[in-house]
Amino acid sequence: MVEFAGIEFCGKSLAAGTFLIAAAAMPAMAQAGSVTVYTALEEDEIADYVAAAKKDLPDIDLKVLRLSTGDLGARMLAEAANPQHDVIWGWAVTNMLDPRVMALVEPYAAKGGDALPAAYKDAGGRWFAATGYMAAFCVNTELLKAKNLPVPASWKDLANPVYKGEVVMPNPVSSGTGYLQIAAILQGQGNEKGWQFLKTLDGNVAQYIKSGSKPCKSARSGEYAIGTSLAFAAIKSVEEGFPIKMVIPTDGAGYELEASALMKTSKNKTDAKRFLDWTLSPAAATLYTKYKEIVTIPGAPVAKAAQEAGLPADLQKVLYPMDFAKSATERDAILQTWQGSIGR
Amino acid sequence: MTAPSLTLTDKARPRRASRPLDERLLFGACVLVPVVALVLFFLLPLATIVWRSFTEEAGGIGVANYLALFRTPGILRATGNSLLVGTATTAVCLVLGFAVAYAAQRTRVSGKRFVAAALSLPLLAPSLVLGLGLIFLLGRNGLVSNLLGIRLNIYGFPGLLIANVLYALPQAVLIIQAALRQSDARYYDAAEVMGATRLQQFLGITLPNVRFGLLSAGFVVFTVTITDFGNAVTIGGDFSVLATEIYNQVTGQMKFGIGAAVGILLLLPTGIAVYIERVAAQRQFGTASESALPPVPDRLPMRDIPLFLVTMTLALSITAVVATVVFASVVRLWPYRLDFTTKHYSITLSGGYDPLWTSLGVSAATAGIGTVLLFALVLGLRRMPPGLAKAVYLLAVLPVGVPGLVLGLSYIFAFNLAGTPLHMLYGTALLLALCNFYHYHTQGFLTMVTGMRAVPAALEEAAGCLGGGVLRVLGDVVVPVMIPTLLSVFFFLFMRSMVTLSAIIFLVSPSTNLAAVTVMRLDEAGFVSQAAAFSTCIMAAVAAAALAMRGALALAGRRKAA
Repeated sequence: MVEFAGIEFCGKSLAAGTFLIAAAAMPAMAQAGSVTVYTALEEDEIADYVAAAKKDLPDIDLKVLRLSTGDLGARMLAEAANPQHDVIWGWAVTNMLDPRVMALVEPYAAKGGDALPAAYKDAGGRWFAATGYMAAFCVNTELLKAKNLPVPASWKDLANPVYKGEVVMPNPVSSGTGYLQIAAILQGQGNEKGWQFLKTLDGNVAQYIKSGSKPCKSARSGEYAIGTSLAFAAIKSVEEGFPIKMVIPTDGAGYELEASALMKTSKNKTDAKRFLDWTLSPAAATLYTKYKEIVTIPGAPVAKAAQEAGLPADLQKVLYPMDFAKSATERDAILQTWQGSIGR
Repeated sequence: MTAPSLTLTDKARPRRASRPLDERLLFGACVLVPVVALVLFFLLPLATIVWRSFTEEAGGIGVANYLALFRTPGILRATGNSLLVGTATTAVCLVLGFAVAYAAQRTRVSGKRFVAAALSLPLLAPSLVLGLGLIFLLGRNGLVSNLLGIRLNIYGFPGLLIANVLYALPQAVLIIQAALRQSDARYYDAAEVMGATRLQQFLGITLPNVRFGLLSAGFVVFTVTITDFGNAVTIGGDFSVLATEIYNQVTGQMKFGIGAAVGILLLLPTGIAVYIERVAAQRQFGTASESALPPVPDRLPMRDIPLFLVTMTLALSITAVVATVVFASVVRLWPYRLDFTTKHYSITLSGGYDPLWTSLGVSAATAGIGTVLLFALVLGLRRMPPGLAKAVYLLAVLPVGVPGLVLGLSYIFAFNLAGTPLHMLYGTALLLALCNFYHYHTQGFLTMVTGMRAVPAALEEAAGCLGGGVLRVLGDVVVPVMIPTLLSVFFFLFMRSMVTLSAIIFLVSPSTNLAAVTVMRLDEAGFVSQAAAFSTCIMAAVAAAALAMRGALALAGRRKAA
């Protein structure tokens, strides 16, 4: 009832305000034994992982903040003067490679890290990636059936004029997923052919949506027949019962690694390191396979999602070997070209 | 900041203290506290954004970000689109907003309560609900498309216009209604005697009287429209607007410089406020007279039937948008399997329903602190020297020009500095409440100013002369007249604070989870039905809280009267 006292007379509620400040202004300081983790992993998997991590590391008070890749990046860089977290966990490596982020983390050779193939860790030890996700099409089978159209299998199929006005893609300027899709095409086909192909494809695209998961949501709610999105979003939609088929394009599915790192500014490095070790542990690896298409830890069982997607046990066969450093440094130029020639 | 003001008001509390000191202290506090708060929690964060906009990527200081912005392909088209959609939204909102407010205050059109309730829906519904609802209804696979057997395309300008009107209309009504609330029946009687027609009375008395309210409402609608990118992202399709450039830069590419520059450019239209302030300074006729007789709403079929049709259509459309989402939350799989289920309501992710309670607390704080600070500020404004009043006025209306994302980031820049006293607030629920308040400061302030114009100055003076202390004057004269306005500001802040998202995602800590964030997370994780279910719970909780508070207030009022 603070507010009504306040309406009667502004003095009373000043007292109330002071009380509120006193009650709420408990500084959120990191105590010994507590580790603050910033992550862009998905909500449901986090719940599972954190429950397991707390069981394996009972003395650590694990505090996890989950934001989408873009929001998390903005927040971390804005907080850079006084970082609030100890660990970055599962965040797009393309963003992690930003020099401003690299300046915030310190090298740490996590236990189990030496077993990771070189492609999945920084040569300088500043990050490693235990998991990753890949691009996929969400195809609404009911809509295609109604229109009597075949299910596309590749990017090349998608450029077929029969799909005109039924394809939605994420906008690479605002979405990391959108960027990784066109980066994979450009790296796979080479610049000249790649841009030509993107322009052809553009003729079929109804809309460039500003987020990476929305094209899949558009497809599953029947707004458009095909959304180019992420495998994660497609799998989720299938699980929920939507008439969606996941298609991993055969001619270059872009993918992204989810990288983890230790913050230089961490006030509890001992426990932060123990948590990072845990993210590479066999227990964690087994859990990852419940949710992830890409698990980089050697010896981890084949992921359930990967099996369902019809992926071979050796992912390297379908994944175009992305050059993440290149796609990070060329980002500005590619986006400029995209906005100039394709962007609407 | 609060400690000294507390002692001031403690001293001011004894009612019969020597009046001049009493009065000076009270109004000193009323000016000082809200102005200091405005500087600390709005001007200071804003300054960090100005600074960022001039900080070049290479490290130097200069205008490179602004130049880079103008070289961004398509930026001119986006600016043109922003102006177009802003103007269209403003025009629609002013006409519809005036119709709704006029019907509510000056006529006996039936169904007023329903219209008022429907209009509060967009304020208390998470933005996800409005976006989903519009697509479920008007999308290519929406109800209307399926009924008509065509594939409507709302993505782009039409969708954006509808979504913006939904979002901005209740804010316009809030202000216009405060302007229409008080008037003097004697003007209308005099006009009647002199043979003026209804239309002449409307054009000569009613409209000039609400000019300030209409201007303020138009200003708010235009500004929230051009600074918002949530609707543009959801339903704008390829129709790019200037504000989405902030989203592209900051969220898409982790670049603050150009994003900050767009943020500063979006503040330019708030310059219109200089003109509105000049209107505010003019004395208004027809209201604020000590012997004013409130106009008695009458029946007039020529006017009432069209008004009834317009307001009802509007209210039903808004209800339909929200109801579709509520419906989708209780069916198995919208739009494919429509059998009833409550399974989407068993939510365990992101803390289950706990964030709802946190949000109710934060929102009560936002509304309580906000209403008091705004009331104090508007009281103090009347007694400030004109020059200072003008500066404070302009500062108070500036926040509406700041997109939520920019405000949220600015709070990080301003408050996450180790070793400064303000850092104590960082990561607390109180800072979230303050951020929400300043996010919607302008709307509350303009409503309060509009309402305050109706308080009869002469009556205030008379009460003062008769020996009533300043508190007595406040309690007996100002507050009774202002109660409807104070309540509408309180509930406006409360509702917005429950669901606003764009600023607070940069301020939530692992231990403070808010309901709006839960909705976003459920949606991002692909559980759209659960997000709709959680949104429904938020709306139900807000409605229940609002009803309970109104009930308590009515009870208190009755007890006082008895």
